[in-house]
Amino acid sequence: MNKHIIRFPKDGQASLVANEWQVWDGEGDEGAPFNTPDLKHGLNKVLVPFHWWRSHCSGHHQNADIIERANKGEIGVWFATDDDILKHAEIIEAGKKIWPVVAAHFPIFRDGRSFSTAALLRQRFNWQNEVRAIGDVLIDQLLQGARVGFDAFELRPDQDLTVGLQQFNLFSVSTQNSWRGKRTLLEA
Amino acid sequence: MYKYDAIDQTLVDQRVAQFRDQVARRINGTLAEEEFRPLRLQNGLYHQRHAYMLRVAIPYGLLSAKQLRTLALIAEKYDRGYGHFTTRQNIQFNWIELDQTPDILAELAKVEMHAIQTSGNCIRNITSDAFAGVAGDEYIDPRPVCELLRQWSTLHPEFAHLPRKFKFAINGAKEDRTVLLCHDVGIELKKNAAGELIADIYAGGGMGRTPILGSLIKQDVPWQVLPSYLTALLRVYNRFGRRDNLYKARIKILVKALGTEEFARQVEGEWTHIKNGDDNFTQAEWDRVAKHFTKPTYQQLSALSEQQIVAGAPETERSAFARWLERNVKPHQVAGYASVILSLKPHGTVAPGDATVAQMNAIADLSDQYSFGELRVTHEQNLVLADVEQSKLLELWQAAKQQHVALPNIGLLTDIIACPGGDFCSLANAKSLPIAKAIQERFDNLDYLFDLGDISLNISGCINSCGHHHVGNIGVLGVDKDGEEWYQITLGGEQGNDAAIGKVIGPSFYADEIPDVITNVINTYVTQRTDDESFIDAYRRIGVTPFKEAAYKNAKKKDKAVDQKESAAS
Repeated sequence: MNKHIIRFPKDGQASLVANEWQVWDGEGDEGAPFNTPDLKHGLNKVLVPFHWWRSHCSGHHQNADIIERANKGEIGVWFATDDDILKHAEIIEAGKKIWPVVAAHFPIFRDGRSFSTAALLRQRFNWQNEVRAIGDVLIDQLLQGARVGFDAFELRPDQDLTVGLQQFNLFSVSTQNSWRGKRTLLEA
Repeated sequence: MYKYDAIDQTLVDQRVAQFRDQVARRINGTLAEEEFRPLRLQNGLYHQRHAYMLRVAIPYGLLSAKQLRTLALIAEKYDRGYGHFTTRQNIQFNWIELDQTPDILAELAKVEMHAIQTSGNCIRNITSDAFAGVAGDEYIDPRPVCELLRQWSTLHPEFAHLPRKFKFAINGAKEDRTVLLCHDVGIELKKNAAGELIADIYAGGGMGRTPILGSLIKQDVPWQVLPSYLTALLRVYNRFGRRDNLYKARIKILVKALGTEEFARQVEGEWTHIKNGDDNFTQAEWDRVAKHFTKPTYQQLSALSEQQIVAGAPETERSAFARWLERNVKPHQVAGYASVILSLKPHGTVAPGDATVAQMNAIADLSDQYSFGELRVTHEQNLVLADVEQSKLLELWQAAKQQHVALPNIGLLTDIIACPGGDFCSLANAKSLPIAKAIQERFDNLDYLFDLGDISLNISGCINSCGHHHVGNIGVLGVDKDGEEWYQITLGGEQGNDAAIGKVIGPSFYADEIPDVITNVINTYVTQRTDDESFIDAYRRIGVTPFKEAAYKNAKKKDKAVDQKESAAS
């Protein structure tokens, strides 16, 4: 995991902050009775896969320990590119009260599905907390990500964060609306 | 024509700066080629067989004289003295150095041009009718909608990494000159009973490996809500289009897999949530854009008959001039005016769609002199002077002859659409240009071509179908077999209102057989046609068999054997 992330609040400035969230891939989960995520890195805040949350913490499956930790602000979820978030709207609506952070994953930087995931989280679910980009996140996708709804980015470790921070100011105008603002209009 | 405002200009200038930084990082090694590739493609930069190729957008085919002179300048300063106009209203420069591309883009930005989204898995340059605003059969001028959607789609963040490329075509005329049904999205503009501008939306058309005509998915969409409707459509595609197989990633595969109705239902479901949002266009935005597409200051002229026009020519030149009038001059909405097509299809001397620096500069001058300083680029890779006074046609014809762009072959067999093929393109399986040249040389008899009448012949060097062979009456497709170049023939394709995908007639041919094969196919048409029957009408009446038998009359046995082996294996 990257020690730092770029945080870029909707109405704020982009900056580097320490990364508090470990992304758990959902593997190594055979250890019954308590299916806790692997916390070997010593961090206590974990993003669990959305599919894992569904099978452990929704409907009939209510893992009390995990839900308690979530309520303490220590558990969030991340969406894989093939998670159909609209199909699971109820879980996400319920999650809004629990998860402090959600993330959407980029298996490869040129897979744009998570752009639509972020857009839907903001538009459809009116998600107000952090939406973090994780996975193969490169500096040249930051601007697009920031416009669709991401406000935090865990970049791939080889990426130059200083160059990354410069990406958000490249354009002073836009010709379509985005999560951050309306398209630029000429003064009347 | 549209003029950039401060927002448009700022955007392209900042895009140049962004790309300059990306190129610098590529050159200093901090940006790997694999990660640079989508970035350069989204700015029209391909890496081809010999060099980089830069594809510059000519949005919906509209070009000013000043812009054409800049294209000439780029060809002269950064390339080898020519440019190649494509089937998709772009121009390509084939010999580009990577480190010079930011400077080229900066030159383009000075004349309100760019290469944004001319490639890559994003919304591509929007294409439309080359005769928009002047065509006699037009019911809606599509240009304001084209421009509004150009702006809306430019650097659209959510759709920057779609499963595959995404092409829009927009038509507002009775006759479709945009190949609307072969686009990922086709927008057919019309007016409702109240006179309001609305659109029918077709989706899932495309060529390539799996040629499919688009299906109507939504009728009567008011122009204002196009951004929200298209957002819904693209969002469904972005989320559910296949990404596991390059050849199944286009929207046509998704529409086919879901079925048209189900796809339309999903789009509708998504749209319900956003249709009333503020993504939609406002009247103020329409007014801002549409004011640029008003009619030029036409003179009050009386229409001239063809006899009157021809009578102006010296007697010895009349038949040649009349022939040019018939093939290269199209009717205009305004009395006393006509639209002129300059042919970029000389017989066998240059690649279809190529223009030299001298030609570009001269044609820019002609447009200043005869057509309000504007030009159009057609899907067939020719240039149009849209607003020429009929009384000046003779003068223009004589000037165009000087530039070798007056060949009266528009719509004829030698008006070949061809991709650059294996001579340039690293995707190609086979060369296109020598085939085009050989056919043009074989049929270098204007009397005969004229007698044959309308026939389209399109050549693609590979199944990506940049030469649109699927919709040629005669299609030629380059295929690779065991490292050799072969050519497959399709017949019966058609663009326009009766769009159809051509059928493969059988095993492929060697390159040197193609002129004979085409001759045999054409001879069959000549013997079978009735009166004024066109090639495509004859084909539709008598079917493929007589053409096929003629095509294989002299085919070498070896070719068939290879194909039979192949078809048995598949």
